[in-house]
Amino acid sequence: MIQIYNVSKAYRKDAAALSELNLKIPKGDFVYITGPSGAGKSTLLKLLYAAEKPSRGQILINGQNITRMRGRRIPELRRHMGIVFQDFKLLNSRTIFENVAFPLEVQGKKRFEVSKKVFQTLKLVGLEHKLQSLPLELSGGEQQRVAVARALVVDPLVLIADEPTGNLDPDVTLDIMGLFRGANARGSTVLLATHDREMIRRFPRRVITLENGRLVDDRMP
Amino acid sequence: MERLIYFIRRALRNMRQCLFLCSVAIGTTAVALTIIAFFAIVVLNVQQLTADWSRQVEIVAYLDTVPDARTLQGLHGKILALPEVESVDYTTPEQAFSQFRKRLGNDADLLSGVDPDILPASFEIALKPLFRNQAGVDTVVTRLQKEVGLNDIKFGREWLEKFESFVALLKLGGAVIGGFLLFAALFIVSNTIRLTQYARRDELEVMSLVGATSMFIKTPFLIEGAIQGALGGIAAIVGSFVLFRLFLYESLSSLLLASGSGAIAFLPLSFQGLLLSAGVFLGLFGSLMSLRKLVRV
Ligand SMILES: Nc1ncnc2c1ncn2[C@@H]1O[C@H](COP(=O)(O)OP(=O)(O)O)[C@@H](O)[C@H]1O
Ligand SMILES: [Mg+2]
Repeated sequence: MIQIYNVSKAYRKDAAALSELNLKIPKGDFVYITGPSGAGKSTLLKLLYAAEKPSRGQILINGQNITRMRGRRIPELRRHMGIVFQDFKLLNSRTIFENVAFPLEVQGKKRFEVSKKVFQTLKLVGLEHKLQSLPLELSGGEQQRVAVARALVVDPLVLIADEPTGNLDPDVTLDIMGLFRGANARGSTVLLATHDREMIRRFPRRVITLENGRLVDDRMP
Repeated sequence: MERLIYFIRRALRNMRQCLFLCSVAIGTTAVALTIIAFFAIVVLNVQQLTADWSRQVEIVAYLDTVPDARTLQGLHGKILALPEVESVDYTTPEQAFSQFRKRLGNDADLLSGVDPDILPASFEIALKPLFRNQAGVDTVVTRLQKEVGLNDIKFGREWLEKFESFVALLKLGGAVIGGFLLFAALFIVSNTIRLTQYARRDELEVMSLVGATSMFIKTPFLIEGAIQGALGGIAAIVGSFVLFRLFLYESLSSLLLASGSGAIAFLPLSFQGLLLSAGVFLGLFGSLMSLRKLVRV
């Protein structure tokens, strides 16, 4: 459950990236966040994974107020999240296996637990045969699948994706969407920022539309 | 423990990937510490030798007339009663004369027909170790003049003064130059580690996004700093030993061992340990400084 109360964010004075936002997202929901470029989609997601603090208002995730959270508690919050970006953010000097293992390594998980889980997750995204490759040896679609695997390896409560298919071909986009829908089916709450109208038409879900930092539309299919 | 090994492995991997930067940091630390070690070698040796020499520091008080037995005993007692004095030896004119004759060696016949009484009787006064310095000598001389009534006094005052100020100058120079270099090394180490952080900013960002604690992110950099510092310290010990062997040993010997006593020594083990810890401290502190400004996602 994500609750957003009267949240505003201004990076600079007199230029609000988000204003007076109110939202409730139930556990297990699948939500598109859409709107033109500069509407505040990325900002909203950053507030959710605590990379930015709201200028005003409160955000609660599973009842925990993350706007009041101390900096040292943020890692714990993120360990239950999976985050996917348009530009993948893979570590190019590490193998696919190491990239997917990274969140578990960071959490100090035991070695054998890590290997098993990483292998399972790579199989889920269909890349178990590439685990020794380096990211730059893969196609864009494959790289994004690795990034999704890295997000899913922790069984996230919340999966956050910021234009994850913005750089990908339509058929690859279908693959990635399949992965998000699968994760949602297994119980993750999914928040997906996109301006791909076609994708929303094809897989209709709740759509939140932002414009100039304001919520202008929130509709169920 | 397993965790520590993991962090060390990560630190070593960081260092391998930024080999050049890393060598610069180690090199700077090494140079700074070597120069400090260099000064320390000189200062320690000069101090050691002046300590050896000062054991021979004596005050000689000459007497106008040869005293009779009772006066002699009185003077002797008075001098010995001074708190700074360790021992007193009385030399009669005859003894002084024969010593003089000995020193002349083959030319001793120059003295034939000369009356031994031309040389004065004297007290040779040795000071307790604590007072074998300029201040001690001054006190004793004043007391001999005022309390015992001896006026014709000789002592190695200028000689002592010169050496004391030489040692002080060396210490000051070492402290100033060494301090400056340490500061430069600290600056360079912290900036090197900041550069390696910059080179790894993608990794740091991802780490933070997948929930790494700040301890997890920072520890390898601290270890990297400590390793760099330790390597710099070891390089400084080796470097100053090479310098010592090639160059310092000879020049110090010719400068200090004219009297033919004592030996020139390298830094004692405790000081080498100090040098190593200074390196580690430098590295740790340098990386701590750079981590304060670490970008947070
Ligand atoms: N780090 C930042 N500093 C200053 N302004 C920013 C920053 N990030 C975003 N903005 C501004 O906030 C507004 C919303 O941006 P963003 O959330 O990235 O929009 P979107 O993701 O919908 O394209 C834009 O006007 C953008 O210029
Ligand atoms: Mg955006």
